[in-house]
Amino acid sequence: MHLQYFILTNFKNYESQRIDCSSQLNCFLGRNGMGKTNLLDAIYYLCLGKSHFNLPDSLLARHGADFFRLEGCFTLEGRQERIVAKVIPRKKKELERNNLPYQRLSEHVGLLPVVMIAPDDTYLATEGSEARRRFLDNTLSQLDNDYLQQLITYNKVLQQRNALLKQMADSGRYNAALTEAYDLQLLGPGRAIHQARQAFMGRFHGLLQEKYRIISGQAEAIDCAYDSRLNETPFDQLLEESREKDRILQRTTAGIHRDDLNLSIGGYPLKRFASQGQLKSFVLALRLAQYRLLQVEKKAIPILLLDDIFDKLDNERVRRLLGLLLEGGFGQTFITDTDENRLSAIVEHFGRDYVKYAVENGTATKIQAP
Amino acid sequence: MNFSSKLIEEAVSAFASLPGIGRKTALRLVLHLARQQPEAVEQFAEAVAKMRRGIRECERCHNLSDTPVCNICADPRRDQSLICVVEGIRDVMAIEDTGQYRGLYHVLGGVISPIEGVGPAELNIDSLIQRAQAGGVREVIMAISPTIEGETTIFYISRKLKAPGVNISTIARGISFGGELEYADELTLGRSIVARVPYKGGGEE
Repeated sequence: MHLQYFILTNFKNYESQRIDCSSQLNCFLGRNGMGKTNLLDAIYYLCLGKSHFNLPDSLLARHGADFFRLEGCFTLEGRQERIVAKVIPRKKKELERNNLPYQRLSEHVGLLPVVMIAPDDTYLATEGSEARRRFLDNTLSQLDNDYLQQLITYNKVLQQRNALLKQMADSGRYNAALTEAYDLQLLGPGRAIHQARQAFMGRFHGLLQEKYRIISGQAEAIDCAYDSRLNETPFDQLLEESREKDRILQRTTAGIHRDDLNLSIGGYPLKRFASQGQLKSFVLALRLAQYRLLQVEKKAIPILLLDDIFDKLDNERVRRLLGLLLEGGFGQTFITDTDENRLSAIVEHFGRDYVKYAVENGTATKIQAP
Repeated sequence: MNFSSKLIEEAVSAFASLPGIGRKTALRLVLHLARQQPEAVEQFAEAVAKMRRGIRECERCHNLSDTPVCNICADPRRDQSLICVVEGIRDVMAIEDTGQYRGLYHVLGGVISPIEGVGPAELNIDSLIQRAQAGGVREVIMAISPTIEGETTIFYISRKLKAPGVNISTIARGISFGGELEYADELTLGRSIVARVPYKGGGEE
């Protein structure tokens, strides 16, 4: 699978831009703040229908513009897939596949697998559990569309249940039957998601350790354990046990929306005990394992977006990452960098077909090969 | 829009306050009425005003009615042991149009959605339970949209409605008649496969 070209209209700092891609390696060169990352985010948006950076659509439209449009032409198993996103923030969001609008945006997720590796990925380890759940959900949704549907249902029911708990506290009238109605509706999707996450961790674990060994060059044991109260206690029992607590706290305290991944290194929690280097290696390994898993389990080889990683990673890790990339097995890759010489060296190293663009203030110009 | 007449402007604003009517359409309607005989427009206005003065909720099923008890509830030929629970009045009309149902209705006036501030107390649920428990009711049919809010409402009513001898059923969900399988959305098709029914032959459901 690869992207042939993509067109941005009023997206971030781009007024109108077309990028023709190589099916192998694509480089965006430019100083900081020129819009290299925005090009990667546009690709990400076309693949998953949202920004990698969790930005609302209103912040994606170019300053002063009231809409944005993205178009991308992909080749998937020999077929052409033309994806168009038309967004008027807060008013309309439409995603089309081959001129046919999707009824539900979520149906698109999984068609075009993508992984972005960005310098601030360390948030996966340092931030709260929500970041790690998003990582899980992102990967699983791309693998299995049913997972995403279950998750959407679960979240909607959860919202209603929390709103109910709040209202009951305000009015002072507890409605046991209605709470139970929501409990029953949480059970199905909750159990399905828990099962899917558990099964996923079984497949993911080995890959993660392998990638970590390669990236860090270390043999230290790392672990990524799925932490969920549903591991020990059936969900219906959990909901029943927390009923009183939920009532007092006015929110749902048990369920898969509280799951976490416990990242550890040599038996110690990553967040508190790891060095900066170990931290970076760990999150890089997480991303590479995510890529590998998608690659193995999807029919299509995912697109790899590497944002500025050569600037933020030390030489040793860059060398090992490049080694991995060179080994092959990676599909279409997009790289951004600020340093032309470094990028040129990488490109030559690759010896593969490539395209280079110079990015300057919202305009990308193709650099002709000498 | 600039109006030469204050009267026209007021009438346009009144029409434009109706659902589905924009200012352009409102103007068209007003200009049409302005060209009519005054008596005809009086009649028109009177029909609307009379409707609003006379219309009320049926005290049994909460359907709209001219009389304290609506035509459907008052009809002795209808099966009094069946109650079909719907969200709104339009659902009653839709089911009536099928000609397949000869029981009674119960209009809830919405579905439970705490986010929208709609709880059981805002809906006609208590009166439904009273009706079902009053005796003579054999089956309560839930004809409610298969959304999360709809499911909650069904769950809730079924929990509350504990009357001996009263069965609770829901309308069937799945592939529409005359619909092409390949155009059915995955969710519907998937559920239809899971909830398949024994073939009875002859096309008769």
